[in-house]
Amino acid sequence: MPAAVDAPEETLLTSAATSFSQQSTKVKDLFSIPPPLKKLFDKVPVLVYSPNPLPQRTPKSARIPSLYVFSTAKDAAAGRPSFNPTCLKWQVSLDGCGIGRGEETDAQLQTFLNIAGVDHRLISSNNHASPTGVLPFLLPTVHASASFQDSILPIPSNKLVKFATEHGAKVQESPSMRYEAYQSLLDHRIRNAWLYNLYLERENFDAVAYKLYVLPTSTNPFVRASISYDLRIAAEAELLKHAPIIDIDDLYSEADKAFEALSVLLGKDTWFFGGEKPALFDASVFAYTQLLLDESLGWKEEKLCRALRRRDNLVQHRQRLLVKYFGG
Amino acid sequence: MASALDPEDDVFESLRKRNPKQDEERAKAAEERLHAQYAKAQQRLGELIGSNSTLPVTISSIHLIGAARTRRSFLDRLFEPILSVNKDRPYTLSEALQEVGNAADKLRRFDIYHDDIAMFIDKPSKTDPSTSVSDIAFSLSAREKSRILMKTGTDLGNAEGSAYGSLLWRNIFGGAESLNLNASAGTRTRSAYQAVFDTPILSDPDKRISVDVLESSTSKAWASHEEALKSGGIKYSWATKSGTRHQLGYTGVWRQVTGLAGNASPTVRNDAGDSVKSSITHTWLADRRNHPFLPSRGYMVKTISEIAGWGPLKGDVAFWKSELETAGAVPIPIPGVAGDSGVSLSAGLRAGMLYPLPVGFGSQSQPSRINDRFQLGGPTDVRGFAMSGLGPRDGPDAVGGDIFAAGSCNLLMPFPRVGKDTPLRFQLFANGGRLLALNNAGEKGNQGSSSVQQSVYSTVAELGNGLPSIAAGCGVVYAHPVARFELNFSLPLVLRKGEEARKGLQFGVGINFL
Repeated sequence: MPAAVDAPEETLLTSAATSFSQQSTKVKDLFSIPPPLKKLFDKVPVLVYSPNPLPQRTPKSARIPSLYVFSTAKDAAAGRPSFNPTCLKWQVSLDGCGIGRGEETDAQLQTFLNIAGVDHRLISSNNHASPTGVLPFLLPTVHASASFQDSILPIPSNKLVKFATEHGAKVQESPSMRYEAYQSLLDHRIRNAWLYNLYLERENFDAVAYKLYVLPTSTNPFVRASISYDLRIAAEAELLKHAPIIDIDDLYSEADKAFEALSVLLGKDTWFFGGEKPALFDASVFAYTQLLLDESLGWKEEKLCRALRRRDNLVQHRQRLLVKYFGG
Repeated sequence: MASALDPEDDVFESLRKRNPKQDEERAKAAEERLHAQYAKAQQRLGELIGSNSTLPVTISSIHLIGAARTRRSFLDRLFEPILSVNKDRPYTLSEALQEVGNAADKLRRFDIYHDDIAMFIDKPSKTDPSTSVSDIAFSLSAREKSRILMKTGTDLGNAEGSAYGSLLWRNIFGGAESLNLNASAGTRTRSAYQAVFDTPILSDPDKRISVDVLESSTSKAWASHEEALKSGGIKYSWATKSGTRHQLGYTGVWRQVTGLAGNASPTVRNDAGDSVKSSITHTWLADRRNHPFLPSRGYMVKTISEIAGWGPLKGDVAFWKSELETAGAVPIPIPGVAGDSGVSLSAGLRAGMLYPLPVGFGSQSQPSRINDRFQLGGPTDVRGFAMSGLGPRDGPDAVGGDIFAAGSCNLLMPFPRVGKDTPLRFQLFANGGRLLALNNAGEKGNQGSSSVQQSVYSTVAELGNGLPSIAAGCGVVYAHPVARFELNFSLPLVLRKGEEARKGLQFGVGINFL
């Protein structure tokens, strides 16, 4: 019997453990509450009433998760597209396209359906509310069974896919080199041109960005001026991360090439990569095309918009998604 | 020869071997003589003044010596009114002394001279043809304090440690103006930079205007966020004849609720971001207690009223906020102990209300935000509860309330051997309070004035629903000259679910206890 062989060692270990635990109980005794006091502590409080109601501005608790995005309170309530590309991407994804659904019908999937498929509510917010400093993020629901002190941890956008997968969703992402190359087109060339177009083109900043990002923060002109300045500086710093100088013509021509490449990639297909349903990549493209083609935003300098409008199939792709998820 | 020299040797010897005891005695005697002389001189002067107290005099001149950096016009405003040229009747000697004494006292309070301002009386020189018989001349001798004072140090307060550096520039333009620059960094107040310019008005130390700017970042762990502030304001403070103090001020502050903890509640997340408060505040204080930290008799009443955002004030938040703070103490005589027994009973009551208003000239009121709501609980107000441990809670966060009331009752007793003259007391206390958020009495989304009024009424009524949250206990109080320290053992008796009570020991440092 191997146990017999191990016996002496085991005894040794046990005795060591006992002496250790004896020691630690001694230490614990020093900090623990003496029994009579413990008895007293257990008796109080004598009377416990029901909890105090929460203030008026507390959001109504919902049974569905909340997605915090850049939006106006009205648009968020109506579920209209966010005006921030990253937020819009995840808004669309959670609306059911980006993260494909598996065939499982278990409880996990049910949970996931709540977020990926149908039910989530939008909350108009700002970067200060986010755990990572950027929107969007998802706040899952708290279970009714959770204790009073329990808190809910928010899920930042870079963990959304993982969160969805953990909850049983099958994420349709082709992990091919090709996919990554095209994704980087969006994440760099188009994003850089977008940043310049929105924040550093003075006319666009005043007409679009100021209205969307600055006006809702405060009614005070000084605060608005300070936030405007910070936004423009941050955009400039972001662009200077990729290049030593900001070459405007280069930014726009790179974006133009990127749109061309995307247009060729889409070809005559309905969705990117020949998918049957829209996927995360469609949402990523839509995030920019929707905003650039949305006339209600009131772009003043339309160089980037014109570059996109020349690609007919991308315009139609945007139209299809808009109809599918936002009713036109 | 040798014998002849002997006595001399003795003298030298005795000089060399000085007896320290004898020296001490001699010095003491000399000092006593000096004192006696001084006292006699004082007495003589007193008698002289006493016997001449009704002597009609005219103040012909007042000299201030040692005020090289003080502006003439500033001093003129102080001394000119008491010169006899500007009076229609002569002074009696005692009146004249009184007046000049008052002026010297005012000088002292500007905080630009050392406290030892000396006063001399003289007869003006007879060679001056403009003098009259009754003329007397005063001269005051003052020493100016250094113009620049720099200080660095560390503070340990209520669960907070901080280091600070400050620079005080006194008497900038020769009119007792001061500029105070202060920078500090700590565990709770992450960083704070403040500049305050303060000046007396019309040479009156009781009327002051101050302008301040502040930038700070404070960790509010009880509500999982950090609050960054940038503010500017102007305040006018004055004292009334009866000794009460007023302060009226305007503040514009840009607040940022940011740096949220991972588990911050939806309430805090919803209030994250920027808001501007533009408000007018009035503070009134009547403090008639015999000691600020450990009173045994007297009372204190303080009211704070603030209106923010309404009408021309604009900003992002609008409300009317009123706070009342009272404290009182009575000595308790112990039968068989003559005089003051050192035992006293003190009680305090605080209450406050935030009434939402429409911003600017709108009609829809704005519900309050987390940075405007009251917080209650902690070792310096309702003992036996954690910092902000009372009131509404959303998950881990104390989200504050719009209406509160709290009261406390303390019995203070001196320690048996230590006696009543030490600033050490044993205390028995019971305190309690309630902090409530305005309820949604009106229809959802409707923030018209009638619905706000309705919800304020019903929330005030709710204060009386059931017992308040209560804790009781005993402890030791020590009144240090700069702050009051308390170490208490407390037990919560009544509370609301979610409210955070402290069973056992709790330590508090502060200057303003309930």
